Amino acid sequence: MATVVELPVVPPPLPASWAPPAASGKSVSPLVERKLLPAGQAYLAHVQRAVHNLSFEEHDKHAEQEQKRLAALNGAGSSVEDDLGVGEEEEPEELLSLDPKEWKKQDHYAVLGLSHLRYKATEEQIKIAHRKKVLKHHPDKKAGAVGDSNDDAFFKCIQKAFEVLTNPERRRQFDSVDPYYDLLEADVPSQSQVTKHKNPEKYFFTSFGPVFEREARFSKKQPVPMLGSYDDPKETVEAFYDFWYNFDSWRSFEYLDKEVNEGSDNRDDKRYTEKKNKSERARRKKEDTARLRGIVDTALAVDPRIKRIRQEEKEAREAKKRNKGGVNGSVDAKQKAEEEKRKAEEEAKKKEEEEKIARAEAKKAKAAAANAAKKARRQARAAEEGATA
Amino acid sequence: MAAQPNGTADAPIEVSAIPTVVGINFGNSYASIAVLTKEGTADCIANEDGERQIACAIAFQGEELYIGNQAKHQLVKNAQNTITGFRNLLGKKFSEIPSNALSISAPVIQHPEIPDEPAYKVKVLQAAPSPLPSTATNTPAASKVATPQSEPVPVDRILTVSEVTSIFLKSLIKSAEDFLGKKVQGAVITVPGWFEQVQKDALEKAANDAGITVLQLLEEAGAAAVTTTSGPEPEGLSADRTQLLVDLGASAISLTLLSIRQGLAFSLATVSDHSVGGDAIDDKLIKHFAKEFTKKTKVPLTVCPATDAQDKRAEAKLRLALEHTKRTISASPGAATCSVESLKDGYDFTGTITRLRFDMEVRSIYDRVYEKVKELVSAAGLDLYDVDEIVYVGGSASLPGLDETLSQGFPETIVTPFTQGTVVGGGIGDPTTILARGCALQAKILAQLGEGTEVEREVKASFAHGHQYTQAKATSKTIGLLFPEEGAESALGGQWIPAVLKETPVPARRIVAFNVDLGESEEKRVGFEVWEAKEGVKIEKVKLPKLEDEEPVPEGEEEEEEEEEEVKEKTVEKESLLTSLSFTAQHATKKDGRWTTRLEVTTIVREDGALEVSAVEVGASGKGEKNVVTVPAA
Repeated sequence: MATVVELPVVPPPLPASWAPPAASGKSVSPLVERKLLPAGQAYLAHVQRAVHNLSFEEHDKHAEQEQKRLAALNGAGSSVEDDLGVGEEEEPEELLSLDPKEWKKQDHYAVLGLSHLRYKATEEQIKIAHRKKVLKHHPDKKAGAVGDSNDDAFFKCIQKAFEVLTNPERRRQFDSVDPYYDLLEADVPSQSQVTKHKNPEKYFFTSFGPVFEREARFSKKQPVPMLGSYDDPKETVEAFYDFWYNFDSWRSFEYLDKEVNEGSDNRDDKRYTEKKNKSERARRKKEDTARLRGIVDTALAVDPRIKRIRQEEKEAREAKKRNKGGVNGSVDAKQKAEEEKRKAEEEAKKKEEEEKIARAEAKKAKAAAANAAKKARRQARAAEEGATA
Repeated sequence: MAAQPNGTADAPIEVSAIPTVVGINFGNSYASIAVLTKEGTADCIANEDGERQIACAIAFQGEELYIGNQAKHQLVKNAQNTITGFRNLLGKKFSEIPSNALSISAPVIQHPEIPDEPAYKVKVLQAAPSPLPSTATNTPAASKVATPQSEPVPVDRILTVSEVTSIFLKSLIKSAEDFLGKKVQGAVITVPGWFEQVQKDALEKAANDAGITVLQLLEEAGAAAVTTTSGPEPEGLSADRTQLLVDLGASAISLTLLSIRQGLAFSLATVSDHSVGGDAIDDKLIKHFAKEFTKKTKVPLTVCPATDAQDKRAEAKLRLALEHTKRTISASPGAATCSVESLKDGYDFTGTITRLRFDMEVRSIYDRVYEKVKELVSAAGLDLYDVDEIVYVGGSASLPGLDETLSQGFPETIVTPFTQGTVVGGGIGDPTTILARGCALQAKILAQLGEGTEVEREVKASFAHGHQYTQAKATSKTIGLLFPEEGAESALGGQWIPAVLKETPVPARRIVAFNVDLGESEEKRVGFEVWEAKEGVKIEKVKLPKLEDEEPVPEGEEEEEEEEEEVKEKTVEKESLLTSLSFTAQHATKKDGRWTTRLEVTTIVREDGALEVSAVEVGASGKGEKNVVTVPAA
């Protein structure tokens, strides 16, 4: 690379009398032989110029290309790390002033800067996010900074959040009660809200869609059928409600347990708290199931597709009726065949019933006969006894 | 032997462009290792004992093998089985080694089998042979053979110098691999400038035997030059400078005067002396402390040389303890202690030494170094004032007293690691690690070279010792630009801008950029002459001016003799006019009634000595027309 040396000197103006002297014809003093040390970038450049027979300008270009190539190589290799979309999140003041003692109340995702991913964050993403935060908030980094340099509270919060989120079981427990969704859960549209809306059909899908999407994360069975669209066929809609009425949730409420006082020696105390926690968990679980059922009920009640399906069925029936009452000739073969089939079925049913009755009667007769035989035996025995006595 | 790690970790999966190469400074007494960091710089690493300065010593004790500083401690009780100072014997024949050299470690002997080959004989315990393997027919009980001995057997082991070097280098590479977590792909190893080809070959062979791919055997001066020229120039130094390299090792001193021209370095002169070194400093201090010990305890102790076995042991103990004392003196301005338990006859010893006292004790060594420096500089036909920078190498060179002694002869503007404050804490000028770091940087350059084509191979080969490309021509006179000035004060008659300094390897190109004052006239003429100049140093003896607040000397009393002081000054004289250049400025700007323009002057000296000077105006709107003059080669 061409190194330009900046000089601080400012040569003065030329004297008026100065005329450029003609070249003296002398050339540079004889060169001396020296032995270079084969070391360093400059020697490499020197050799490259000699080997490739390059002028300085050509070598400049060459070196520039080489540098670009190396930069590209390094860039691909190490400098730009793929963070899997973890990105950077803002850290509001209240987040940074969290108390690590109150870790149960903190939003672990927000602490790690993953609030845009939440339960969707993969293990790898959590690791990357944690590393990012540690690099930024490690107490060693703050040692020289002004202010309270010993404040490692937020770092502790980060460690706690990482601890919780990297343990699959504890992460599930936290995901179950993720405070971020608390508000959203309360925000389920009611029946009247949908019906009173100007455009109830559209409103139904826009309001219930995200609700089901959110609830789907608790399902043990994946994938979960989603609300879908207005034009879904009957089977899909039925399958949807079928799934959601039989929803199998992994949601649990251990996270909200009251701390068992480990230090206490009182066994009864511990058992009492444990028992209470257990019943509390069961109560919450029951409540949650009821809540979900309520949501599905509401959805079913206001689902415009149900209305549509009923309407369609009604129309179909009416159409059939009309066809029956109309000209015979218009009854097509298919309907006829159906009719016949139904008739046959009915007949078969009747037959079956008759057979059933017959079977029952036969059974009755059999029983009566048996009774009679018993009676006869008893009488015979009595008679025998009387004879011996 | 150093503690082995229990278990191995998988190397981290990391795709990085940093090649796993290391630099090894392999001295006669100490070695150090450097690796490349993520940022692309080099860093000296510590071995598993936490030592950055690893003593070149291996010791055998029973079944154990000690390497490095642990081996040095064996010198106290197990000197016969401890090997030190083996590097300098590499590639030498037994008959070439002076036999009278006083050795404190295992003596060098003639190899019993290979003629004229130096070797070491050490006593080791061989591991017990394993019991006979039992087969179905041959159970140990049924065997007719006597039951083998189950204890280790003492045997004599003969080691050649090359084998010892291999063992040592292998342990260095092992340390680096443990640190990096990856296999080392190649290494650059230092050799002293005075190593002959046969010695280099021997070192390369020993390294190959240790499983090391040697990328280059780099001269120590080269390694130091790489470290000092990579990275930004320190304040007060230009890319073209003359550098004095002071390598004060434990066993020898070697001085090199380097001409550094934009990173290209060659040696102007070199001097080495095996009689001065860290060990000589140790000897002085040992004598000092031994005297103190005798004074305190009334126990006679003769050292350097010691004759009695007990005295020898005491000397070895003191020598080990001094290492710490010297480091303390280098690092802090206060006093340093030296304590040895049970130095002699069960008496403990604790002594302190201040920096002043320390410098007094080793004054003769410092002066010796200073003399050698003067000798070197004059051998190169230069003056101390021509040196721009001093670089120190070696542990003993970290002593501030040495820098103080040397600095007195140099101009005040001289740059040393001490003036830069980069001596301690792994700074750029840290004398103990500078060579290893240079080697690592060199290894990086070599590792990135391609080997695909013929030309690329040729480039790579040029790093071998004594390659044709290392032969270069250099300018013998400084070429500069002279801007004439009306009524100039200096003898030159104008503003002098040196462009290509003397001792610059050709082909060379220098570009300088500066503002030119064009005066008030509308002519806007720019012009300069190109001269070859003679540089010199003017020595004037001036009488020290009397300080004003001194009391006037009453008349009649004897006048005090005024002190004279030598004042040196760099001078430049015009020698021969080469050419001149003149044109009218197009991109000048007017400020406060005066025209100024910015000029970029490129001076190129071709390989045959042809000179090309071109000036370009740099205006706000870009570069102007190029004005070129050339001077053909003689």
